[in-house]
Amino acid sequence: MIKKRIPFILVIALLLVPLSAFIHLTTGEIYVSLNDFFSAIFEFKGNNSSHVLIREFKIPRILIAIVAGGGLALSGMLMQTLFNNPLAGPYVLGINSGASLLVALSLMSGFSFFGSDIGIISAALIGAFLAGILMMAVAQRIRSQISLLLVGLMFGSFTSALVSILESLSGEGALKAYTLWTMGSLQQVEFDQLPLILFIFICGIFLSFILIKPLNMLVIGERSAGLLGLKISQVRFLIMGITALLAGLITAFCGPIAFVGLAVPNLTRILLRTQNHRWLILGNLFFGAVFLLLCDSIIQLFSEQIALPINAFTSIIGAPFVVFILMRKLK
Amino acid sequence: MIRFEQIEIGYSKPLIFIPSLTLDAGKVYALVGRNGIGKSTFLNSIIGQIPLLSGNLFLNEQAVQNILKIELPKVIAYVESRFDGVEYLSVFDYLAFGRSPYTNNFGSLSSDDIQVIQEVVKDLNIAHLLEKCTSEISDGERQLCAVARALIQTTPIILLDEPTAFLDYLNRQKLVQLLVLIAEKQHKTIILSSHDIDICIENSLEFLIVSEKKILKTKVSDKQVVIREMEKDVLKSS
Repeated sequence: MIKKRIPFILVIALLLVPLSAFIHLTTGEIYVSLNDFFSAIFEFKGNNSSHVLIREFKIPRILIAIVAGGGLALSGMLMQTLFNNPLAGPYVLGINSGASLLVALSLMSGFSFFGSDIGIISAALIGAFLAGILMMAVAQRIRSQISLLLVGLMFGSFTSALVSILESLSGEGALKAYTLWTMGSLQQVEFDQLPLILFIFICGIFLSFILIKPLNMLVIGERSAGLLGLKISQVRFLIMGITALLAGLITAFCGPIAFVGLAVPNLTRILLRTQNHRWLILGNLFFGAVFLLLCDSIIQLFSEQIALPINAFTSIIGAPFVVFILMRKLK
Repeated sequence: MIRFEQIEIGYSKPLIFIPSLTLDAGKVYALVGRNGIGKSTFLNSIIGQIPLLSGNLFLNEQAVQNILKIELPKVIAYVESRFDGVEYLSVFDYLAFGRSPYTNNFGSLSSDDIQVIQEVVKDLNIAHLLEKCTSEISDGERQLCAVARALIQTTPIILLDEPTAFLDYLNRQKLVQLLVLIAEKQHKTIILSSHDIDICIENSLEFLIVSEKKILKTKVSDKQVVIREMEKDVLKSS
């Protein structure tokens, strides 16, 4: 009983991804033609400066926008289903904060291992996962959807206070490294880091698809799903793991990016009008990628005048949208 | 069929003791009793949400401890007192959850699964709802869908927790009549908890009256008998 409308919208969303990537390509400081772009990929020459530019800056930035947008939207969808709460998301529930706190700890600890790529990624993943476990424990005791949100925000304030204390205690070098990280940007990723990022991203997508049946069942509530034979605690742990993997990965490389994980899953659900996660996963990946590519394109447009942090920009669009959802749901 | 042998039910302290009780297939039982007397605890103990304190419970001649946890949804279906509906969840997708104990890891429906769904949809006359959202239909229609989902689970036992609580008189009457018909026709054991003694008597359900830490199984035609039985507790404690 698949309606034709859903695949139709998904195909359009899929086509929007290369289109927004193209927009992203043309809005940069230096104009890049499609011709240059493809020749840089297929016949790369190290002495061609525009090839180097494309390979070192353009491609990583476009790919990371797709990964970050799709990944954050997907992890937001997972959290909204897990908590049965349309207001859940990696940012508002403090998953990013947990990652930030551990990244701050590791950057300012002074050990060089923790300053390396692997060090930051592991710190972010562990921080994200611990925050997720904490929020899950809280959610067990709180029934109200709004209260959970407040606890998440309080947790965010608490961790940022801890981070401030850490900042005031740490040396200049570590402080600079951390401040740069928190700015949130899609430009810090290097070409060599891409395989690792893409690998984790694809693992996250693959695992989400394996969980389609439990995710669908969770929509009618944990208790009902449990009575239909779903192993709740196992599923909860898995979903939280994937969420932390995706949100932690993206937070590690791009810094905290707000509201994508909250706004895009709601938008996807409204557009697709379904609760079948087979479609929702795809929709979130496509719409998330398009959303972040377009946001970053706008940032590029103004990059000569001001360096806008991506986090500020997603909040400007995302926060009003969340208010809209609140007004719609909880009159 | 459900058989109780020397069963103690409760959280840490026993709330109800059942020396021996057999509930037959083909019948609908009305579980009544004052608020907080242990009706929900009783139902939750049967579906395994609350472990039995002692004794043996048999579901269709099978001891409950021998039934695997993932097999239990093929034996008992449970209908909650209220399903509020979920935005964008279609009635068809909701009904299809009833097949989830039988479907593979991706939840894809086989042609047999679809046939089961179609038969129940026909029996309950809800074909016109299939494409609608569960959040957009009326309370009565939603409760009917919840019952349909339980039937689609094709279990020999169905438990319903106050299924009539949020329905108007006509819908209550319709629902109870439907359950009686299903129990007889499909040879199922059905228990519903309720505060609506009138409707249970009108449809001549057998009563399970929870009072004084016991369960009394009885057939009554006079409301006063049930009330007197339920009051025993109050009289004793005062």
